[in-house]
Amino acid sequence: MKTLSESAPTTNAPDRSIPEASAARIAQKVDFRSGNEAAALAARDIGYHLMGFFPITPSTEVAENLSRMAANGEHEIVMIPGDGEHGAAGICYGAALGGGRVLNVTSSQGLLYAIEQFPVQSGTRAPMVLNLATRAISGPLDIRGDHSDLYFALNTGWIILMARDPQAVYDLNFAAIRIGEHPEVRLPVIVAYDGFFTSHQKRRIQVFDDPAAVAAFVGKPNPPITALDPKKPVTFGPYMNDPDLINNKMQLHLAMEAARRVIPDVLGELSRLTGRSYPVLDAYRMEDAETAVVLMNTAAETAKEMADTLRGEGCAVGVLSPNVLRPFPGAAIREALRGVRAITIGDRADSYGADGGNLSLEVRAALQLDPENHTRVVTRIYGLGGRDFYLHDARHFFEEAIEAAADPEGVASFAYYGAEPGEPGREPPPGLPPLTTEEVSRGMAKVTPDPATGRLRVELEPLWKMSTIPPRVAPGHGACPGCGIFPVLHQVFSVLEGDIVVLFQTGCAMVVTTGYPTTAHRITYIHNLFQNGAATLSGLVEMYHERVRRGELPGSDEMTFVMVSGDGGMDIGMGPALGTAHRNHRLIILEYDNQGYMNTGAQLSYATPLGHRTSTSEIGARFQGKRFHHKDTAQIFASCHIPYVFTAAEGYPEDLMRKAAKAQWYARNEGLVYGKVLSFCPLNWRTADDGAESVLQAAIDCCFFPLYEVEKGKTVITYDPDLLGRRRPVADWLKQMGKTRHLLTPANAAYLESIEKETERRWRRLRAMHDSPEL
Amino acid sequence: MTSAQKNAPLAARPEADPVAGNGYRPGSDFPVRDRFFEIRFESIGGLGAHAAGQILAGAAVLRLGLNGAHFSSYGSEKKGSVVRSFVRLGLPEKPIRTSSPVESPDAVVIFHGALLRLPTSLAGLRAGGTLIYNAPPGPPPPELARLPKDARVIRVDALGIAIEEKSRPNAVLLGTLTAAYPFLKPKVILAALAEEFAGKHADAVASNERAYLRGGSEYEILEGVGRGETDLPIVRPGPVWGYETAPAGGVIPRPGNSAWNDLSASRTGVIPVFHPEACIHCALCDMVCADLCLVWRPEADGAGVRMEGIDYRYCKGCMRCIESCPTGALTREPETPGLADRLRVPLFPDLLP
Repeated sequence: MKTLSESAPTTNAPDRSIPEASAARIAQKVDFRSGNEAAALAARDIGYHLMGFFPITPSTEVAENLSRMAANGEHEIVMIPGDGEHGAAGICYGAALGGGRVLNVTSSQGLLYAIEQFPVQSGTRAPMVLNLATRAISGPLDIRGDHSDLYFALNTGWIILMARDPQAVYDLNFAAIRIGEHPEVRLPVIVAYDGFFTSHQKRRIQVFDDPAAVAAFVGKPNPPITALDPKKPVTFGPYMNDPDLINNKMQLHLAMEAARRVIPDVLGELSRLTGRSYPVLDAYRMEDAETAVVLMNTAAETAKEMADTLRGEGCAVGVLSPNVLRPFPGAAIREALRGVRAITIGDRADSYGADGGNLSLEVRAALQLDPENHTRVVTRIYGLGGRDFYLHDARHFFEEAIEAAADPEGVASFAYYGAEPGEPGREPPPGLPPLTTEEVSRGMAKVTPDPATGRLRVELEPLWKMSTIPPRVAPGHGACPGCGIFPVLHQVFSVLEGDIVVLFQTGCAMVVTTGYPTTAHRITYIHNLFQNGAATLSGLVEMYHERVRRGELPGSDEMTFVMVSGDGGMDIGMGPALGTAHRNHRLIILEYDNQGYMNTGAQLSYATPLGHRTSTSEIGARFQGKRFHHKDTAQIFASCHIPYVFTAAEGYPEDLMRKAAKAQWYARNEGLVYGKVLSFCPLNWRTADDGAESVLQAAIDCCFFPLYEVEKGKTVITYDPDLLGRRRPVADWLKQMGKTRHLLTPANAAYLESIEKETERRWRRLRAMHDSPEL
Repeated sequence: MTSAQKNAPLAARPEADPVAGNGYRPGSDFPVRDRFFEIRFESIGGLGAHAAGQILAGAAVLRLGLNGAHFSSYGSEKKGSVVRSFVRLGLPEKPIRTSSPVESPDAVVIFHGALLRLPTSLAGLRAGGTLIYNAPPGPPPPELARLPKDARVIRVDALGIAIEEKSRPNAVLLGTLTAAYPFLKPKVILAALAEEFAGKHADAVASNERAYLRGGSEYEILEGVGRGETDLPIVRPGPVWGYETAPAGGVIPRPGNSAWNDLSASRTGVIPVFHPEACIHCALCDMVCADLCLVWRPEADGAGVRMEGIDYRYCKGCMRCIESCPTGALTREPETPGLADRLRVPLFPDLLP
């Protein structure tokens, strides 16, 4: 059995590799910061070389804060927006192999999407730091905080530090660098803090006011090998089977054991600098405690408040909470619980079917190694999906421990706390009557193949006739005033005939239509995470056709399958969407392009045009918005040689509806359709709520967003501003939006010129394709 | 070392803001000794409650030397949905260890009159506490009778003042709040408000200052409003469905039941008004309505359709319909009390009359 010393809060045995001078107390100043801001400030002060990231609530603010600072030249971290968290993790891994310092931030599904890379990185021993603002994992999708993402990281070989408040987020980021880069450790490190409770709560903190002392503390990275030293060629990531892999993992295990020694040294040194102590196991009023609760991060702090109250009432209670989760402080837990009669362990995530969440299982396993221990352990799964943990909840946990101490059989060893059975008779609103096929099939667009041209002809009924078709989306959704998504959906649904199944990828349209327990969808709707919607719908389409073929479903009422995604979903979900296109499934992919990740607070997407201001392409003295041109998603799909590709804008309903009608014909008869629709976002384009018509018109008339279709390989421009004499300069469009007005200043003339040139180049290319059937 | 020691008292900034007054000692006039002083802002996204809470709590910590925390309730970034912003203040040496929302506020500030109808808005207000609400002059709404009788009730026309001063309601309401609680040092908070905008919009500083000062003087204290004896009860809205009653897997087998939602509170002072005599029933407005709230009926003879009006239950007041109308049959009007209820044409008359 290991001794307590492996985890004791050491105040002696300083790390001798650090010069004496840095041991002086560091100058600090009071600040008022959230956990995300604290992480960003620490990153700035550490001076990372590179950050790879992909926005996900509630961690996104770290990148946003750093983007704002970068725009003003306050740091020089190279910030690379990944195409998704998996891509971001790859960016970070590659950068880490290059020997510099690397940062990432994520949450929830972002961690799960990236996690495949994590054992790769620990197994090949490339240190970096990941800030994890913990959040519930899907599905159903919940954006608030629990520890279900964190628990998935336990087996990845990464060191995990637990930051209980914004101060700890700041402090432990500095420690993370030193721990991970220690020559005997060389492992990546996670700093985990509670999503929203810590990530978004501003608190009084102290920040360093002494750059030289910070530099001395973090030192310089000193990798033994890098991928950027041609004089020392090295092979990273060989093909390694038995008998070798187990030895590689033994080395990883030994690195974790080394971390047990290194962590108290580094935290002790940090404590001498800051005056703030982080023992690997935080033990609050445990000296004579008869009962205790074991919790992580913010809930543990709440429990301390209640422990004080209960001590005042004469109860000998304490609180245990790890500051370090990997390596797990088992010995310190055994020591702290020696003589404690009963504990309640709160797990903010379940390991389903295991009779406890991971914290419970590991504490129980640690205690099992002490034959003298008789602590009764009660496990409670609590706080899932961001459910608040109030003082009275902490009191309940203590009371259960006290009860278990008195009567070990009297308290269930495992239970959910805070789940509610529901009240008989309490129901959400009943819903609208299901739409009948006849109600929505009113022949608003007549589609006929034209043998002469090989294209489809569409005859559209007048708009007024469409106004009595019941919309497939009900009112009562929670979108922002003026949101363009609903006009897009309404226009498209007005011409689509028959039964439709929709799949919405994660994004604004998904969030605002399905806030549980209400839904705006009057037809069958599926959400899947935006990295995988197209694949999901392709599976459903094929199941439909197979069940029709087997006679299990009627083949007569043909269904149409439509995937709805934002432009963000067409970044992270591009791979599966292209796979779906190459397989040519009979479905429609409809992208509402509002030029950014608006659901998470307007971060740049690859569809965001050059120079546009977003929360991750900020403007300042150094940078002037997004630094690369927009992705041409329609042309990417055209290159897949699917039957039909179109672009449209919600400001031109007849054009959009003609294309939607064609889309349905092709999806029923030939295969995949992709359509990109420019969709107004007043909040994040920074316009008035009623500014759609003018700004959309200008985007089309300046040829930034050409309206065209690629039908069986033939490109046809459906609205030509040049021919109509309506061509306007790009500036006419940019001057209408708060996110782009800075581009019209003389200082940004080069940006404007670059946008004009790229717009013209793409437009001419399109014109050439329009003019030549061979293109 | 314990975390209590970790959060050991921070030395009050010796340069504690000079406008706080000579001889100011952080916490010397703090109104409560053994607990936190807590404020809850009830608002709609876009009215600035989050920023107000942040400015107030930040100034309390950095300029008044108090301990403090601030956070808001929202997650996904949508304008027009309910936002609650929480400020927790304590004596300099008192550590803040709870992260949960403010349930028993000393002061509640209501940014939008429509929120007074929600049971959660006033919930938990302490006896002897203060309610500040944004409304034009007029009698207090009947909902306020629930208030403790010794609660102070303060009305201020924050929207009216904000429009006149080209500011936002948050500046006005902060002015009223600090006037109601002198320990918050109105001049110090004003300085923090000015600094917040100084770098971004120079002209906003002056208009915010005027709005703030008017908020601090043009309020009305309403007497005899509350009839309650004690603190208002805490409200924790539970789930509609629980684990024994919800369909498994989180599915919602109730198509379109969002129609029962009421989005009226998302509007901020203006509504579209329909003038049937000018309408040519072209449906251009229907193509751009973001809230799907325009009401159409087939003509009796089945040959045509008519626009009948607007279901304001869903209208968030974006005014896109007005922009699209070729005949002026839709106009932008101030939303006076009761106007939307009078003009509303229900979209689902049988289900939601």
